[in-house]
Amino acid sequence: MRYLTFALAKGRLAKKTLSYLEKMGIEMEEMKDPDTRKLIFVNEELKIKMFLSKASDVPTYVEYGAADIGVVGKDTILEEGRKLYEVMDLGFGKCTMCVCGPESARDLLKHQQLIRVASKYPNIAKDYFYNKKHQTVEVIKLHGSVELAPIVGLAEVIVDIVETGTTLKENGLMVLEEICPLSARVVVNQVSMKMENERITGLLNELKNVL
Amino acid sequence: MKERRIHTPEGVRDIYGSECVRKNHLSERMKNVLNSYGYRDIQTPTFEFFDIFNQDKGSLPSNQMYKFFDREGNTLVLRPDITPSIARAVSKYFNEEIFSLRFSYTGNVFINNSSLQGRMKESTQMGAELIGDDSVDADAEMIALSIHMLLAAGLKDFQIDVGHVGFFKGLIKETGMDEERAQELRELVENKNFFAVEALTDNPAMIQLPRLFGSKEILEEAKCLTANEESLEAIARLERLYEIIEGYGLGKYVTFDLGMLSQYEYYTGVIFRGYTYGTGDAVVKGGRYDHLLQKFGKEAPSVGLVVVVDELLIAMTRQKLEMEERESIIMILYEEERLMDALKKANALREKGNCVQMNRMDMRMTMNDYVEYAKRFDIETIYCFENCGEVKFWEVNP
Repeated sequence: MRYLTFALAKGRLAKKTLSYLEKMGIEMEEMKDPDTRKLIFVNEELKIKMFLSKASDVPTYVEYGAADIGVVGKDTILEEGRKLYEVMDLGFGKCTMCVCGPESARDLLKHQQLIRVASKYPNIAKDYFYNKKHQTVEVIKLHGSVELAPIVGLAEVIVDIVETGTTLKENGLMVLEEICPLSARVVVNQVSMKMENERITGLLNELKNVL
Repeated sequence: MKERRIHTPEGVRDIYGSECVRKNHLSERMKNVLNSYGYRDIQTPTFEFFDIFNQDKGSLPSNQMYKFFDREGNTLVLRPDITPSIARAVSKYFNEEIFSLRFSYTGNVFINNSSLQGRMKESTQMGAELIGDDSVDADAEMIALSIHMLLAAGLKDFQIDVGHVGFFKGLIKETGMDEERAQELRELVENKNFFAVEALTDNPAMIQLPRLFGSKEILEEAKCLTANEESLEAIARLERLYEIIEGYGLGKYVTFDLGMLSQYEYYTGVIFRGYTYGTGDAVVKGGRYDHLLQKFGKEAPSVGLVVVVDELLIAMTRQKLEMEERESIIMILYEEERLMDALKKANALREKGNCVQMNRMDMRMTMNDYVEYAKRFDIETIYCFENCGEVKFWEVNP
């Protein structure tokens, strides 16, 4: 039997996914050790390999078949736009992709004005403004603390994930428009789905049952 | 320091040494299969007018093509795909032909895809087009041809996954849903998102569609799920297709996937993809495109295939499949005065079909240096013509 390789997006999603996998009887002992420096973990019995990676890299590993199955947020899938099978919504890690800014910026979204939009997700931002709102904008890619941008005047609005809205509120920002709902998804490589059909669909059905 | 111009642009590369030998061998063997099915070679230009490849004829968005202008200001495109070129050529030279036409080709295509994703922008495609035949026999021939090409290449573990867009189109009509929902559903089906499809429709066949892939039993299953004519016709065609492929003795390589809907606007009937281990993408793609030639002025239903040669080579390397024949080269090493003798020997060896390379001996080098050199370049035998004495003979074991 070949190994099935899982790529999990580091952090909360991985923890949650691992707990579900455990319920299915897939245990990865070494992964529980918080001090481990190992990058890849193997369950010889079930012939499963697993590794953690930066969320935005998960679709890349899966597209090229370096991993057969991945668990990653819908935001990353949308942003990366890879060729994958997105087979299941895991229903956790729920949040919303939103356009946010100060109340004063609300008006700027109503007209065909050229505004600056800061985001960690330039592709999602572009797609929303160009193809849904038909508003020409200048997208500025940032790598973190996007909320700063409207405060210091780098951009009029931001496109970012909103979970509770606390950070926004504390900084005098608010949700101006909702783009789409997000949650954790299971993605599968297109070739693996065919070559390992039975094992993968079996796993997915089991996973569905423990959710 | 002067800048050294040794780099190639991103997305293109040099192929040399044993990799190049392997690629050529692979191509040659697959080409022999194509010719053995009666396909004639055709060469079309590397660049053509933009119109040949534009959205309604090609399968690639315009912003992924390499475009430039000629002196008159016409937009030219480095071909991203060879099928439209052949459709154009055939419509031009064989417009009156009423019988079927078979063409095969090998060439490089250029796709300006996004950077830093590990994907090459220039790659080699080898393919075949069967034009003017709308029968299921032609569909089967294309799939048999794909299988034989992969077998000839030396691949063992692979499968050709076959679908038919008619099944999905029939279901859409049956449910009578609007364009927007159909589009949404198509994406979900293509993504094999079983659970989301369930939430969106209550049509029993549609709900099962993302699961309808695997061995031929799924055709039976699909038949029981729907009653609409178009979908059933698609299934009947696939069943007949499978019978014919079994007639070729190749049934075990074929599986089905009714949810395969990629490039759904382009293909009109059967579509197929070849998968193997070691690569995340298909190594063979193909299908029936009955409306393409019409756009160039010839009514001719057609079916075609393309082997993505570079992808296949990567897969074979990862599967550690050796290609048995290796080009062995004989080196004749001579001192200047013995050139004439060496030439005679080289001629004799070449006449017998050997590959011979001649090197004049450099007195600063030792025999050991030459043996090392031979090892680096897969030279298996050395003949040495020194000024005095017998001809020496070495076998080099790499």
